[in-house]
Amino acid sequence: MDIYLPIAEVSVNAPLLVALGAVVGFISGLFGIGGGFLMGPVLVFMGVPPAVAVASQANHVVASSASSVVSYSRQKAVDYRMGAVMAAGGALGAYVGVELFRWLRLMGQADLVVALSYLIFLGVVGGLMLTESLGTIIRRRRGEPPKRQANRRPMWLYALPWRMRFPRSRLYVSVIPPALLGVGVGVLSAIMGVGGGFVLVPAMVYLLRMRARVVVGTSLLQIIITTAITTVLQAGRNQTVDIVLSGLLLFGGVVGAQLGARVSGKFRADELRAVLALIVLLVGVQMGLTLFVPPADPFAFAPGPK
Amino acid sequence: MIPVVPLPPAEEPHISAALTAGDVKVTSSFRGAAIVLYGGVFDPQRRPSDVVVVVRGPERPVRLVRKTRVAGVWLNSRPVVFEGAPGFYMAASTRPLSDIADFGTLRRLGLGVDHLKIEAPEEARVETRFGVKDVVVSRLGGDYLDWRRAVIRLKERARLYDTDPHGVRFVDPGLFRAEVRLPTEAPIGRYETEVWLFQDGEPVSMRTRTLTVEKVGIERWIFNFAHRAGWLYGFAAVAIALATGWVASSLFRRG
Repeated sequence: MDIYLPIAEVSVNAPLLVALGAVVGFISGLFGIGGGFLMGPVLVFMGVPPAVAVASQANHVVASSASSVVSYSRQKAVDYRMGAVMAAGGALGAYVGVELFRWLRLMGQADLVVALSYLIFLGVVGGLMLTESLGTIIRRRRGEPPKRQANRRPMWLYALPWRMRFPRSRLYVSVIPPALLGVGVGVLSAIMGVGGGFVLVPAMVYLLRMRARVVVGTSLLQIIITTAITTVLQAGRNQTVDIVLSGLLLFGGVVGAQLGARVSGKFRADELRAVLALIVLLVGVQMGLTLFVPPADPFAFAPGPK
Repeated sequence: MIPVVPLPPAEEPHISAALTAGDVKVTSSFRGAAIVLYGGVFDPQRRPSDVVVVVRGPERPVRLVRKTRVAGVWLNSRPVVFEGAPGFYMAASTRPLSDIADFGTLRRLGLGVDHLKIEAPEEARVETRFGVKDVVVSRLGGDYLDWRRAVIRLKERARLYDTDPHGVRFVDPGLFRAEVRLPTEAPIGRYETEVWLFQDGEPVSMRTRTLTVEKVGIERWIFNFAHRAGWLYGFAAVAIALATGWVASSLFRRG
């Protein structure tokens, strides 16, 4: 059952899109991430123009994150104040990112930057996560006690001005690091079409040292705000949001996300992290490889403003 | 009222043609279309005739990049803008075009992909060379033809350009048939169809027909909404996403 997408101007298999949304939603609920990094490459593989894929999947991330954040909010696991500070940075980052993406498309370098971003960010995050989680699993198998985390926060967090209290995260730190983190994630959100949870969660845990139970909920809140802004900016500036495409994806996505969140309790956290790390690493390497494979045709059409 | 068209003198050969569908409607189930063109050749002397059917879609500049290997990594060059490339082009004929008419005639009439006026005006520069003034040279240099050929090759691969040297078939003496196959990616807009009659390598008669490809119904509405009120469209998309997320979450909580 094929359906014609009015903005992407291609015809795709509708049940396949709903299933894709459900699978990515399931992974998203299972690991507490947006899942955009998986969706983008698959959509492009299905023939959706990359610019439309990036912009429309940002909207899918809004929906699947919204469905999870409601549950986290009920458990009081969302730090709204921290989320607002990061989202303020995220709004700025998204604006810069959308303009940057527009300029890159004009220069014909959008593919390169997208592929490089996937290779670098997914490669580094996946690699770090894999070593960390495998280390934990091996220690547990050997019956060794878990490695004690150095609980001291980096000193520079306290040296910066504009300190603010974040009661839910049990923090009293400068607003500069979380805001900067938001800017970075906002730029990624516009260029890669991802929520940025895979960067945000480790940064909140290891850099800001927030309380573990508010990390995922707060990161999802910040992701909703950033991707919502990205969607509006992409729609307003580039006209690349396909509402039929994102509708099909998010229909499957929200259901998948809820199922994923339920199942996630049945697995050990370190094993889940190891599997996620593998997926992240594979997608990153796969996207990066495109830079090294000789193209079938040395010429290609550059998408861009008509 | 039937418009009165002066008919050519009965002894002069002429051609006439009609499309089985004048407009193609793009709906949610659109997966391309095939339109049949029928036509007749009227020639009392029954001289050997060739028919050429050319369909040109709306023109849209294309941007092309060339990939080059730098330190093991394939990088895109600066994009080059080509103008004059129709969004869709089909040339069907009774015989290969080069057998029907000579190079100059085909070039003058713009028949066949090799004779499309695809140019990169932004790359052109007027210079004085060897004492000759106003020589147009391209910054693309000697590779210019490679670039131009790539435009056609890529369009052909996307099934947007098609040359069929046997696409026009006579089904009966004087009655011919051709098929226009539009892929899903065919651009929206007005398509000009030219039907040429050739005799002894010379164009004798020509008819034009217009074909429109348009989005209808919800597809048209969404497309216009996205392009005319992009910001509002963006807010609507986000509102739908938030609402769906919230509804799913409350449904699953009860269930």
